[in-house]
Amino acid sequence: MTDGKPKCVETLREIEALVDGELDTTVRVRIESHLVDCPPCMDHAEFRRHLKVMVSSKCAQHDVPPELRAKILRLLHDDQPAG
Amino acid sequence: MAQTEAPDDQALRERFERDVLPLLSNLYGAALRMTRNPSDAEDLVQETYLRAYRGFGGFKEGTNLKAWLYRILTNQFINTYRKKQRQPQTVDGPDDIDEWYLYDKLGGRNVETSAENEVLDQMPDEDVKKALESLPENFRMPVLLADVEGFSYKEIAEIMDTPIGTVMSRLHRGRKALEKALWDTARQRGLVDD
Repeated sequence: MTDGKPKCVETLREIEALVDGELDTTVRVRIESHLVDCPPCMDHAEFRRHLKVMVSSKCAQHDVPPELRAKILRLLHDDQPAG
Repeated sequence: MAQTEAPDDQALRERFERDVLPLLSNLYGAALRMTRNPSDAEDLVQETYLRAYRGFGGFKEGTNLKAWLYRILTNQFINTYRKKQRQPQTVDGPDDIDEWYLYDKLGGRNVETSAENEVLDQMPDEDVKKALESLPENFRMPVLLADVEGFSYKEIAEIMDTPIGTVMSRLHRGRKALEKALWDTARQRGLVDD
């Protein structure tokens, strides 16, 4: 740690926040500099990133029932202020 | 909130239709993952739109509209459907799952790194949705909001009205539970050897 670079244990702990884009710039730069030099940690980071993208893309696909939009529009137009 | 009058101003209504209606697909998808059934999801989305419409006059333009809507959706879900579903709030598991559970399972199989990703890619969409829906609600919500809807920790904390530390902890545990569910699915599907 004397050269300011984090070790694998610290890096692996921060990968979740790194992939979520939630690390402060200073920490992020240190973690990324370790990843460049450490293929196993980079492999973990890439896996985590891929998993997140996979979950996101596979869960984002769904068909909105065609009548739902119409129902909502009707709801809005019927919902006049009381009185 | 129900007492709030609907916006009667034409401009407000047009702005609502312009800004909020395009989010229907996102909101319906999230409602599906929350309620786990299309009929409840439709009801939940309709109620959310009605509440959002009635409260829209109080929404400050330029602030985070998507987070505002998801907060309404989440509150509505918790108040209406959680009681109905009687789902246990916690289950065994998330704490006993190793860090890097899925990585170790897939990677410890003498396959190339790219093969780990291939297993994930081969999983049918429906299986991944089911795996997410299998998580207890406290863990499912932050994973849904972070990974599917792309919200930041801070936004999730606001949407769920929960401290950010709690969000991070539940997200972490929820993801571990999801990894285990995905592994179980991959095994059942024969995508990996037992």
